Amino acid sequence: MKRKALGIYSAFVLAFLHAPLLILIVFSFNSSRFTVWEGFSFRWYRAAMNDPQLADGLMNSLIIAVVAALLSTLIGTLAAYGIWRQRSVILSGSLYLSLVTPEIVTGVSLLALFQWSFRFLHMRLGLHTVVISHIAFSIAYVAIVISARLRNYDRSLEEAAMDLGASEWHAFSRVTLPSLAPAIAAAGLLALVVSFDDYVITSLVAGVDSETLPMVIYAMARRGVSPVVNAVSALIVVAFGAIILLSQRLQEK
Amino acid sequence: MSLRSRFLLPARVWMALFFAAPMAIVLSYSFLTRGEYGGVEQPWTVENFIRLAEPIYLSILWRSIWIAGLSTALCALLGFPLALFISRSGRRRNLYLQLVLLPFWTSFLVRTYAWLFILRDTGLVNTVLMRLNIIATPMQLLYNDRAVLLGLVCNFLPFFVLPMYATLERLDPALLEAAADLGARPFATLRRVIIPVSAPGFVAGSVLVFIPCLGAYLTPDLLGGGKTVMLGNLVQNQFTTARDWPFGSAASLVLMLASALLLASLMRSRMARELT
Amino acid sequence: MNRRLFLASSLFGACARDHRPRLNVYNWSTYIDPAMLARFERERGVRLRYGTYESNEEMLAKTMTGNSGWDVVFPTHSRLAPMARAGLIANLDHSRLPSLRNLHARFQRPAWDPNLHWGVPYMWNATGVAYIPFQDFAVEGWSYLWSDRLRGRLTMLDDPEDVIGACLQKLGYPFGSIDARQLAAARNEAVRQKPLLRAYLNAEVRDQLVSGDVLAAQLWSTTAAQAMRGNPNLAFVYPEEGYPLYCDCAVILRESGRYELAHDFLEFLLQPDVAAANARAAETATANGEARVTRDPVLYPPDDIYRRGVWPEALPSAAQRYRDRLWTEIKSA
Repeated sequence: MKRKALGIYSAFVLAFLHAPLLILIVFSFNSSRFTVWEGFSFRWYRAAMNDPQLADGLMNSLIIAVVAALLSTLIGTLAAYGIWRQRSVILSGSLYLSLVTPEIVTGVSLLALFQWSFRFLHMRLGLHTVVISHIAFSIAYVAIVISARLRNYDRSLEEAAMDLGASEWHAFSRVTLPSLAPAIAAAGLLALVVSFDDYVITSLVAGVDSETLPMVIYAMARRGVSPVVNAVSALIVVAFGAIILLSQRLQEK
Repeated sequence: MSLRSRFLLPARVWMALFFAAPMAIVLSYSFLTRGEYGGVEQPWTVENFIRLAEPIYLSILWRSIWIAGLSTALCALLGFPLALFISRSGRRRNLYLQLVLLPFWTSFLVRTYAWLFILRDTGLVNTVLMRLNIIATPMQLLYNDRAVLLGLVCNFLPFFVLPMYATLERLDPALLEAAADLGARPFATLRRVIIPVSAPGFVAGSVLVFIPCLGAYLTPDLLGGGKTVMLGNLVQNQFTTARDWPFGSAASLVLMLASALLLASLMRSRMARELT
Repeated sequence: MNRRLFLASSLFGACARDHRPRLNVYNWSTYIDPAMLARFERERGVRLRYGTYESNEEMLAKTMTGNSGWDVVFPTHSRLAPMARAGLIANLDHSRLPSLRNLHARFQRPAWDPNLHWGVPYMWNATGVAYIPFQDFAVEGWSYLWSDRLRGRLTMLDDPEDVIGACLQKLGYPFGSIDARQLAAARNEAVRQKPLLRAYLNAEVRDQLVSGDVLAAQLWSTTAAQAMRGNPNLAFVYPEEGYPLYCDCAVILRESGRYELAHDFLEFLLQPDVAAANARAAETATANGEARVTRDPVLYPPDDIYRRGVWPEALPSAAQRYRDRLWTEIKSA
């Protein structure tokens, strides 16, 4: 009984979250470039497919997001677990502080760091600087999600395993890690999305060859120029939606 | 080195290089002076911090805390039942989680523009309401605090749902059955069983929502019509149009400090209550 | 697996390196015709890397430290002098730019760079008032934007230079005033306007003008021209009290090692057909006098109106700080 009420409520919340998305998709078929409906058209999709900047941006964003998410999930999970076992005020403090820092400040400070150190290392801004920056701010997100999960976790389970002869590593990998798996997946997803959608930090530390999709989209949308942006977003949503449904089917098998 | 210390090592190195070092730079900026053409230059001064104590900046701080707090509360209200629902959905869990995140694969700016379209005078909501003769003239749904709240909640809801879900996922249905068997009414079960277990998720989710809301600038700009200044706008403005990096650094340090203090007090109160 | 992909692609990228010479150009978004970029690549046998930015500050933050990787950038005219003083600009070699004579007479000896040492004027625009005309009312200038009949249906730009400048000009003061009393009076005007104001919006207001949500807006001439194409009922006026003009100039950064190629690119941009194509793609006014484009009066005001315009200059630090303080006060009022 309670489940049904919960289900209806959740449906409403999801609809609320997805409303802008639907509008986006509807207007991607608008033949006019203004948000006044004029007629049905595929022209923006054609424009989107033919735009090399968009393709480059998408590719860069995907590479960056995947690499950054993987590394930050790894580092963040280890950090959260380490802090849970053995308090480290400095580390947890700096993790929280990194969360609390406004994006523009993170961006400008990292830019300053890169510019200064690169003079000695003879390096330039590029994809690698974007990845580094994304990992820097994602670690905290991952750590928080995992820590929240760990607070409900029973310490004695690991101790019991060790009493039974398991090494510290095995106690972690065979006992704790499996039950952390859903939280790790959730944290990884969060890190992925946060990285893919980031604009402020990325635009500051990106180099000559590393334009990401948000940068391209911001440029187009800020000028109020064209619904190509809608078309791209619609394509992305459909693509990811399909991937999600597919992975769900595979899981249910 | 013990295993635990080794676990902490990568994070320590990363944070030292790519957080502590840049922060040191920002700290030094806050004590310098605005450069003629942007950037920073000598002399060293505390003027930036003194300037922050003026009433106008304090009112900006207060306003930001208020709006961020309200957004967090709304996210909790909307997000908790959703997270609960997802955690009990069995094999469909991942599907729902990813549905929550689906809109976020599109650009934040584009989504906000979509809200502009929905809430405009000639937008979706007003047109529908007028067609149904519920209202005669368009309602001013946009360019006020309400619209900003809507935008913030819409954008940060997943940041609450995900940690909440991660915590609730652990909730054993057997516990709920046991409570029911022992005669507890649903509300009591909620109060005595579900809420204590979900407390860490609440805290984590609130943190992940409140903090970015405090530093948000795009949403108040676009949905609030740029008519109000939140801390995020102030900092953003200093680093861009005003080209006053020292003042911007000082403002963001204050922002960070305020958030850190709030965080610390929250953590301590929760932990204290959990241990007793 | 994806890490391997990243490594592999970077290795691949390094191996499959293009041996054509490269030029890195950093410009405002949608400010060029991509076909022209492709044409330059073909004709000169080079590889162009083209990046975009949304504001001068974004560009300056990267170029200020002198190793951004960009060769050619397009700052707005008021930033040229500060950039030159900071040693960021490489002086132009006129012997490599014979087509400078294609520039319109106004831009041959511009106020901000009379000898064209630093940058080649590229595109220009102005700020004015876009509005939906009422039958009984003639709109002359900034003062219209304080009209009570526009209550709640009026917007200003989200830009301190434009808003404070408009207030100053409305009061009869110079656009670039650094007098504290005049600036304070301008602030009061802006605060007085706030109850009538719907929002501070930039190009986003275009759609609301087209749909009729907004009746009047302080707007750039380029965006106004676009809006008028969507709604022919709209009108645009260059204020009688005066208005600001902005010119984006192509500049070669000193850090660039590719002076010859960069000059080639600037020379290419000065060709009439190239300039015309770029102007059409950017939908804005070109500084090139020989380019064949329809001289839309919204984008190309006639001489008498042009004379009312001012070219803002970079302000001294103290004045800039005071203005910024006023902007915060206006916004939080």
